[in-house]
Amino acid sequence: MTTIEYNHIVKKAQGRFNGGIHPTECKTLSNQQAIQSLPLPNFLILPVQQNIGQPGEIICQVGDEVSQGQLLVDNTEVFGANIHAPLAGKIIAIDQYPTNHPSGLPQTCLKIKTAKQQVSTELFSPINWQQVEPQQLLERIKLAGIVGLGGAAFPTHVKLAAQPINTLIVNAMECEPYITCDDRLLQEQSQQVIQGALISAKIVNAKEIIFATEDNKPDAIKQLSQCIKQIKSEVTIKIIVAPTKYPSGGEKQTIELVTGKQLPKGKLPASMGLLVQNVATLFAVYQAVNKGMPLTSRLVTLTGNQIKTPGNYWIPFGTTIESIMQHFDISDFTNQPVVMGGPLMGQPIFNYQAPVTKATNCLIFNIAATDEKMWLTQSTQHQPCIRCGECDKACPVDLLPQQLFWFSQSDQWDNLENQGLFDCIECGACAYVCPSEIPLVHYYRYGKSSIKTIQRNHEKSEKAKKRFEFREMRLARAKEERALKHKKAAEARKKAAQDKKADPTGKQTAINEALARVKAKKSAQNSTNPQPKE
Amino acid sequence: MSLSSPFFHQALSTSKVMLIVCIALLPGIIVQSYFFSYGVLINVFFCSLFAIIAEYFVLYLRKRKPWKIIKDNSALVTGILMGIAIPPTLPLWMSFIGVCFAIIVAKQLYGGLGFNPFNPAMVGYVLLLISFPVEMTSWLPATTITPNVPDFSDSLNLILFSQTSNGDDVEFFRQLADGYTMATPLDFTKTQFTLGLMTSEILTNETLLKSHHAWHLVNLAFLVGGLILLFLKIIRWHIPVAFLSGIILTSYLLYYYDPNLFMPTSFHLTTGATMLGAFFIATDPISASTTPKGRLIYGFLIGFLIVLIRAFGGYPEAVGFAVLLLNLASPTIDHYTKPTIYGHNLEEHANE
Repeated sequence: MTTIEYNHIVKKAQGRFNGGIHPTECKTLSNQQAIQSLPLPNFLILPVQQNIGQPGEIICQVGDEVSQGQLLVDNTEVFGANIHAPLAGKIIAIDQYPTNHPSGLPQTCLKIKTAKQQVSTELFSPINWQQVEPQQLLERIKLAGIVGLGGAAFPTHVKLAAQPINTLIVNAMECEPYITCDDRLLQEQSQQVIQGALISAKIVNAKEIIFATEDNKPDAIKQLSQCIKQIKSEVTIKIIVAPTKYPSGGEKQTIELVTGKQLPKGKLPASMGLLVQNVATLFAVYQAVNKGMPLTSRLVTLTGNQIKTPGNYWIPFGTTIESIMQHFDISDFTNQPVVMGGPLMGQPIFNYQAPVTKATNCLIFNIAATDEKMWLTQSTQHQPCIRCGECDKACPVDLLPQQLFWFSQSDQWDNLENQGLFDCIECGACAYVCPSEIPLVHYYRYGKSSIKTIQRNHEKSEKAKKRFEFREMRLARAKEERALKHKKAAEARKKAAQDKKADPTGKQTAINEALARVKAKKSAQNSTNPQPKE
Repeated sequence: MSLSSPFFHQALSTSKVMLIVCIALLPGIIVQSYFFSYGVLINVFFCSLFAIIAEYFVLYLRKRKPWKIIKDNSALVTGILMGIAIPPTLPLWMSFIGVCFAIIVAKQLYGGLGFNPFNPAMVGYVLLLISFPVEMTSWLPATTITPNVPDFSDSLNLILFSQTSNGDDVEFFRQLADGYTMATPLDFTKTQFTLGLMTSEILTNETLLKSHHAWHLVNLAFLVGGLILLFLKIIRWHIPVAFLSGIILTSYLLYYYDPNLFMPTSFHLTTGATMLGAFFIATDPISASTTPKGRLIYGFLIGFLIVLIRAFGGYPEAVGFAVLLLNLASPTIDHYTKPTIYGHNLEEHANE
């Protein structure tokens, strides 16, 4: 086993965060093997939207032959990201297919029949990043459809537009059990990741790059520090090593570990002059800029006790879980959720037709032994909370999970918000340690969505109230105006009637008017011809 | 139904936690029964049995699955604690009333485990103490200082029928060789103070010294059990440490104020239910304060109240009252001692 050498490049983290847990790592399952590729899948199911924001415009049709890297979904929205063809082939359908969307609802997807012969083409021309303007680099990243590959899938070009940034933190913590794709990528492609980091640093004008990682990745640290030594750059590059503890990879926790300071509530890292990027994202940046390749595939950890050869694989987006299972000959796996992401924050996928997307960093095919309680995917009748406080010891954001649970199960929304429900990062540390096996995070999600629904309804009713009040006001005003008009008309009619009565033929009126005219004329003459002086 | 994340779980369960608490009580039970005869063991056995029966009865009425819930071992803990807390010759029907009240009224009527605002064992104990003050303060002298040590059948007969097969009653066993009736050190000192004696005179009384020796060891045994719990991380240090600091500080101040009228700190720490209270009763997490700061306040105030009640109150032992009073206060303590959440209150510091 490699030991970590600390020197002027590799340093121990000065900060620490409260709470945290030390779950079984299960990382050696998959980080011992070199990165591999899977054989071409027969078809791809490519969701047209793989990150938050508005969906883009599909610029292809059923029947089109597409080449690898060809732009298929053009997204010009602020938070949008383009989608390119992962492989060459023919679009055979554009329809609703099951995906990994948290709602469980199907999404619009392109079904692509992959061609037998794959010719790799360059979509963009490679750029020498040292010689171009940052704006051009940013444009390229946007065109390549790059999003954060740590799991949140936030568009990278939006994040890189933040200014001013002093330090770029590369999040290589990878604190969740089982996942090893960043570890393996750093071991094999650290040169490229560093280049990606330098490109990002140039875009945001950062003076410093810090690779933040845990001490359970000595091989990656060694490889990385060797590469850093060879780099000649004005930007200082360091590696900061934190003790292995979940969830050190959470953005807030990483910032606290690296800087020793907490990110103030409601602020973005940019307010502290920081930008946090994931390892795989920076690799994608390098590929887009230096190689001219859009983001069409990613490194995915395939692991769990049902896979005979766990490891890290390059997988084109749109590859279905089913085809991966066929390749690995996983047959005993039925009615079990495949966990997409890590075991603590991942998402259960029951429909194996769901594809790998930009947000998929890990797929776990695990079946728990019958007497084992460590791997829990089915809900059981949990025991009551005895407020033992294990959870508040484990909470990395210093909440009191036992209180959140108490208020959530009794629907006390105000108290729940006062306890800081919306500061919860849903890391799952509390539920991991809970001796009563309470699915605590589930209760928080319930609380969060209930409160949001109430707020939405409140906003709706406020809007409706305003609309109603305005309508009332408008009707009253119209009525008033009408009444005024009627009154005026009535008065006019009355006057006319009176006039008619006094002077039925209108002669007297004509005489009166003529007299008035004469009078006016006379007075006008008097004023223009002044009397001669006596 | 399928769960959402997390899917990973550690192995410790609530049932196991409760079971470990029971096991950690064993050293104390063994030492206590060595000094106060088989009655302790018999009480622990019957109280546990009553607790489980009462729990089963209510769960049956509530249409739950009784055996599944009883397996959480919480009723067992309540029963054992009651068995330890009551005198070793207390008539069985009284124990029955106490345990049933603890389980049915103080626990299940509030909704069962996790919902009881008061420590059930202490509710049962205090009910008995108020209802049967004579019987509840009739402790036997330590077996090491009395010629009349009840054997197993004597103890069982005393508990079941209030007299042995020879016709001896509890008072017979409470008499020492010189004809005095024995009381617990706490009871003894209280009486002596009312007789106008000074602390130095009380502390040199030979009977007290001998019987106090037994209580030293009982407390030591519970301390060992408590340290096991701390070591296994079943309980956290906050409450016991604050509890003991409360006792030390308050008793030290009183003793410092007038060394003739108040007992010294060492006496308070090693007598009565001090260690049992610090590690096994005040640490009941359900009825205790649940914030890190709140646990310190909660423990400290219990210690503070114990010394005050012992010094000025009408009852010699105070752990039960002090714990119940602070149980009442814990929601308020929780409200005012919320920890600072990550990233909160940073703006104010920046402006300072």
